[in-house]
Amino acid sequence: MSKFLFVVPPFFGHISPTLSIGASLIAKGHEVRWFGITPLADAHIPAGGQYVYPQDDLVKHQDDLQKILKRQDDGPSCSGPEVMKLALEETYVPVARIMMEPLCKVADSWRPDVIVNDCITFAGALCAHIKGIPCVTTTPVPPDVMGDAANSAPKIFEWQENLIKGLQREFGVYGDDIVIHSHKMNIVFTSKEFAGVTEPMPHMRFVGPVKGRPNNAAFDWDRLDKVTTPKVFVSLGTLLVDIRAAFFKKLIDAFADAPVTIIAATNPDIFEHWPDNFIVNGFVPQAELMPKMDMVICHGGFNTVNDTFTNGLPMLITPIAYDHFHTAKLVVNAGCGISIRYKRLRIADLKTAVFELLENPQYRTAALKLKDTFTAAGGNDKAVQLLEEFADSEEILVAVD
Amino acid sequence: MDTVVVLKQFITEVIGEEFVEEMDIDMNSSFTRDLEMDSIEIVSFSEKIKAHYGDQIDFTGWLSNMDLDQLINLNLGMIVEYIDNARN
Repeated sequence: MSKFLFVVPPFFGHISPTLSIGASLIAKGHEVRWFGITPLADAHIPAGGQYVYPQDDLVKHQDDLQKILKRQDDGPSCSGPEVMKLALEETYVPVARIMMEPLCKVADSWRPDVIVNDCITFAGALCAHIKGIPCVTTTPVPPDVMGDAANSAPKIFEWQENLIKGLQREFGVYGDDIVIHSHKMNIVFTSKEFAGVTEPMPHMRFVGPVKGRPNNAAFDWDRLDKVTTPKVFVSLGTLLVDIRAAFFKKLIDAFADAPVTIIAATNPDIFEHWPDNFIVNGFVPQAELMPKMDMVICHGGFNTVNDTFTNGLPMLITPIAYDHFHTAKLVVNAGCGISIRYKRLRIADLKTAVFELLENPQYRTAALKLKDTFTAAGGNDKAVQLLEEFADSEEILVAVD
Repeated sequence: MDTVVVLKQFITEVIGEEFVEEMDIDMNSSFTRDLEMDSIEIVSFSEKIKAHYGDQIDFTGWLSNMDLDQLINLNLGMIVEYIDNARN
């Protein structure tokens, strides 16, 4: 049996799939811990696992950390190039800097066999490199968001490389190799068909969506059972707090009293009154709810995208910022949805798109095809098998040394 | 026709008339911040430039050599100047 340490960023969308594979690893008898720099409620941690939050070590970083977290609210109003700076320069690199010291302590005291770092959580792989611990990276979003930047945008590529190499040098890693990701195994939670990657590099392993993380959110199933109109699930994910009211106002303008039922995952407090055909809950058991839906509206947060196509549902994607635009392009390429950019979203177009998706079967057919590629990718079982094989082969390598 | 008139027409076609009506587009309008163009819109804007001016203007090549700050600050005036210079 092996000890796996997942290193996760302060963003739930990236933590979520690691909770699912972590639960599967624990079920196979492995020891699993998570390391993060914001508190995570116990209810999210799979039974038998442990979340390490180095509260005392973070005291001196707390002001910086809170500024980084607050800065994320600016994302939706930033342009593409501004978001790149916000992400890499103002988030990923400083988060790694804050994580390194307490993470290295945990690595020394608990001595994991494998460190699993999320793709934007550079400290995981950097610490693993320094300590000589085998490392796997997890990627919850379709890779190649940047495309071939080295050739298509050489100055931006150089800026990226310099920031990462600068971070590495701060922790004594010199040279030209980038060590903030694993070069041996990168587990991607989508299918290569959806990602549009025909010949992935051998260490990129597309396992499709994973599931099974604890989610005990309550839901009024009786009310849902009584619904007779098509059911449209709407989620904005866990970020993007500032634009929630504006987004749902558009939905109300478009669908109040229309022959559909909107099932929305958002805090109901944003409006005093919701139309009768809106079922609104702050937290929902999304995985259980999704099979009962007819279509989904979301901005392109990747866990909702995965839940949607796992159930073969058509999607209206309204990209706002970050990698949403890339995901929206993939949805359109796969033929399983319609994309309308949030900033250009008109009420009339919103209505037309939703009824087109509900009435034209071509989107649903394409979504079911995508579902097949997700199923074939292997999910939790495949991810666990890859991690176990990796841990075993690294152990043999250590023994040979 | 003046380059700026042509480019304003392309902007309108790309982002939609009703969104343009809410904007005061002038030479200082930034493509990212003021016009809020995303990468797909910039690509379709580039295609229109290529279709109109032909191979004499390598707009995409010009853009791809920019760093992030140059892209963030890119405004209509800079594109007009680039096109006018390249055509002379």
